[in-house]
Amino acid sequence: MKFNTILLLFLSLSELGFGGMQFGDIPVHENGRIKPLDTFSRNQLLSMYEKRSLKSDALPGNNNIQKMEAVDWLLQLITHPDNNDAFHVFNIRNPQVVGSLGLEWRKSHVYNRMEVLSGIQHQISYIADIQGKSEEQLTEFDKQMLRVYGNIIRFQELSYSFTCLLPLVSIENEEIAAKLKVEKGKKISYFQIVRNIDAINEPLKALLNKEEPQWTAEEREVKRIVTLLNDIGQDNFAVSIKIIPPENADDEAVWLSPWEIMDSRELGEKQEKLLITLEEYIQAYLQNDESQMVTTLANYENILQSDFGQLLSVKNLKTETWMNHTKLFYKSMAFYLLSFILLSLSWVFKPELLRKISFASLLTGVGFHAYAIYLRMIVMQRPPVSTLYESVIFVSLIGVVSAAFLEYSRKDGIGVFAGSVCGIILHFVGFGYANDGDTLGMLVAVLNSNFWLATHVTTITIGYGTSLFAGLLGHIYLIQAIRSPEDKTHLKTINSNMFGATLFALFFTLFGTILGGIWADQSWGRFWGWDPKENGALLIVMWQIMMLHMRITGVVKPLGFALGLILNNIVVILAWFGVNLLSVGLHSYGFAGGIAMNIAIFIAVEVVSGLGTYFWANNLRLKLKA
Amino acid sequence: MIRILKDPRIFVITIVWMMVLVFAGTIAQKDMGLFAAQNKFFSSWIVWLWYFPFPGGRLTMVIITVNLLFFFFNKSIWKLKKLGIVILHIGGILLLVGGGLTAIYSTEGNMIIDEGAYSDFVEDYHNMELAVVNTTHQKFDSYTVFDQPMLKNGKELHHLHLPFKMKVLNFYKNCEPIRRDTDPGVHYKGMMKNFTLSNQPVAKEDNRNRPGILLEISGTGTTTDGIYGLFLGQSIPQSITVHNDLFELAFRRQRTYLPFSIELIDFKKVLHPGTNMAKSYSSEVNLIENGIGKKKLIQMNEPLRHGGYTFYQASFMEGQHRETTVLAAVKNYGRMFPYISSIIMCIGLLFHLCIKMPDLFKRKKS
Repeated sequence: MKFNTILLLFLSLSELGFGGMQFGDIPVHENGRIKPLDTFSRNQLLSMYEKRSLKSDALPGNNNIQKMEAVDWLLQLITHPDNNDAFHVFNIRNPQVVGSLGLEWRKSHVYNRMEVLSGIQHQISYIADIQGKSEEQLTEFDKQMLRVYGNIIRFQELSYSFTCLLPLVSIENEEIAAKLKVEKGKKISYFQIVRNIDAINEPLKALLNKEEPQWTAEEREVKRIVTLLNDIGQDNFAVSIKIIPPENADDEAVWLSPWEIMDSRELGEKQEKLLITLEEYIQAYLQNDESQMVTTLANYENILQSDFGQLLSVKNLKTETWMNHTKLFYKSMAFYLLSFILLSLSWVFKPELLRKISFASLLTGVGFHAYAIYLRMIVMQRPPVSTLYESVIFVSLIGVVSAAFLEYSRKDGIGVFAGSVCGIILHFVGFGYANDGDTLGMLVAVLNSNFWLATHVTTITIGYGTSLFAGLLGHIYLIQAIRSPEDKTHLKTINSNMFGATLFALFFTLFGTILGGIWADQSWGRFWGWDPKENGALLIVMWQIMMLHMRITGVVKPLGFALGLILNNIVVILAWFGVNLLSVGLHSYGFAGGIAMNIAIFIAVEVVSGLGTYFWANNLRLKLKA
Repeated sequence: MIRILKDPRIFVITIVWMMVLVFAGTIAQKDMGLFAAQNKFFSSWIVWLWYFPFPGGRLTMVIITVNLLFFFFNKSIWKLKKLGIVILHIGGILLLVGGGLTAIYSTEGNMIIDEGAYSDFVEDYHNMELAVVNTTHQKFDSYTVFDQPMLKNGKELHHLHLPFKMKVLNFYKNCEPIRRDTDPGVHYKGMMKNFTLSNQPVAKEDNRNRPGILLEISGTGTTTDGIYGLFLGQSIPQSITVHNDLFELAFRRQRTYLPFSIELIDFKKVLHPGTNMAKSYSSEVNLIENGIGKKKLIQMNEPLRHGGYTFYQASFMEGQHRETTVLAAVKNYGRMFPYISSIIMCIGLLFHLCIKMPDLFKRKKS
């Protein structure tokens, strides 16, 4: 126990110890939320490359780098747009798509921009054709084609987002250089010239009133610069990185990308300061000037804090970046796995010592798990559960914590077993959901209520978690009844644990369901509307009430009760995920596709294993009686 | 008798049946829509499955309630150790009673208001009505209203205030006005001279249907006698003149008039910046009662309660020039029951858990 307290303390200290701002901490606005560039670049990469960082297959072969973070890739991309073919980030696995784009079939499935673009050019009319169709009319091939097409556009936009800040225009004329206050021969950016355009206004005007042979050297230079600016200005389609906050801290104002700023007539004073600092950072990066990079980022942070402090919290941005890098859920998964392995070993030798270590490992996992959920709450400023993904990681935590309490009271490894199994399976499910994109999304209007999210949603998910935990105890009871049917006292203790867990689960599911009704009464005008999700919750409650009454009236014996709890797991899963498959009702904001098969497998496994162990154990019991 | 009624095995059987109903009623929503499934499985006394009658949701709930009431005749429960259980079951009774009150007495409907306009009536979600309005007098209109149950095919409609008779020729649950190709003859009047109502397949959700009605008017003794067609959302009013009295016929959603009115000042939809995803909807309204106005804000999760009614932000329509808000208006006598019963049930369950806890999670002494 002490070990964990120290660990948590250490973790919270490390949060305080964030250093200065990194490039990845810079805020950007995407999908309704302010997030660090680190998260932004991961999301972008995930949608093209299907991973959150680049592995060696995507990187240029000449330099021996094995791995690259998404944010470093983004920085490379925006500072060297002409070199963007170096990255093979288009993950195309559909053989039909690969064929029709004229690409060679690769084991790694990754291609670069040039390869995809030359293939797409022959398909452009087909793509235009399917773009007008509705979702149902599209074949799998069409969807994949559109995905590739969307990604190539996304990639192009990213690459050219910052060209207005890159030093691309050299100033060759002494006078013009003096007017723009730069050295002759130095390269400056589109933005630098645009904001000093008044300085060269005179020769620019003169230019228009004269024929070309009469131009002075100065005017000739201006003409050359303007032509260059026009060329660079072609990139102004690239507006996907909304990095500049609105001038005034108004919630409804929009964030702008550098190119949108170039085009906008009203550049705020604070916005300009921020953009200039960003430009300085980019140039320091290009010159490989480490100390200048640190200084400019520190300036950037200062401006954010002093001028845009009402709009965003730099600390939260850093927290989110830190969270992205530490991958706390993977760490907790590792500890759950470790605890399961140690527990298995404890059945072979050193039972007491290994059990204790495995328990400590489980608790360590819980520590990481809970801390990660806590950080997500801090970053999003909302209660732990508001999306299906969050419900998975939260239910998993509740299951493991319940199991840890059981272990604390029993001290025989059963709690560790239940906890590690619950943690491992649900983490695995959670990772699956995380791969669908940003797990920190914004909420639709009806959910936008922290009070009800904190009460109803949290309570009902605790109910799911404790119900699944009770179901797991049902499994354990049946297994014990098969392993040692003669050990009556042991079975009796597990039996009362099962009963207690069911009472607990009922408390949370019942209370959570009623709270849900009250929320519905407050927002939709009726306490109960027989909506699928409501009915799902009601089914769990009724199943549990039924099991308790069957037990009290003697309709079922402990073995049957255990089976009932196992089957309750099916009810929970149907209420939790299954109702989203119906795609009717008011609660259909969850994610639905592709889970039908998984639910079917889960039900089959539970039915077969539940009934199988039940009849086996019952046979043994009858034999023992005889 | 009491011994049979209080038998907890009745409860086990009924709750199993209730679970079957809930499951079936949920799955059925995919095919028949929420309202129809609710009527068939939950709000019914008897549910017909295939050709056999089974207890419907309402009957099952009544059986559970009765069984639960007789639970208190058990002598063995009146002990301190069982206090939590008793409290829990009292809460359960209250929840069921509240549900019953809501099922029987609550009414709900829509109030639809354009920006700048006001409304003083609630429209039913499902039922229609036929209103005959005598607009002869300059100062007032006199209304004669026939509710949907009266609007059955072949039914004759007459009233003291009306100098003519009406007969329902056809009631359409969903119809479409279609322009006629040929002249139907002198018997068809008003819009039906040029149009005919064509029956359409009935949609699952009632708000997607356009109900209509074909009426025969007789007894005026003039050429006004004839066949008239009305449907929901008819833009041209159908009016007739009988003995110098002017009547307007309107086929509309059933209205309940309120003793106050609500004016929509402004409807607002706020998006999450940079997306098309709504962050909030709200209606700024003026609640007018006895000529005195009060400004109120209705938004998601924050309804307006007044005069026994609760108004919720339910939906909206965006026109070219102005927005329209759709408020759900609910009157429910049972609405406090879930609040009270849930508190009672939680106290009971917690109490019981506290008593039982030490037994159920005993520390193993090793």
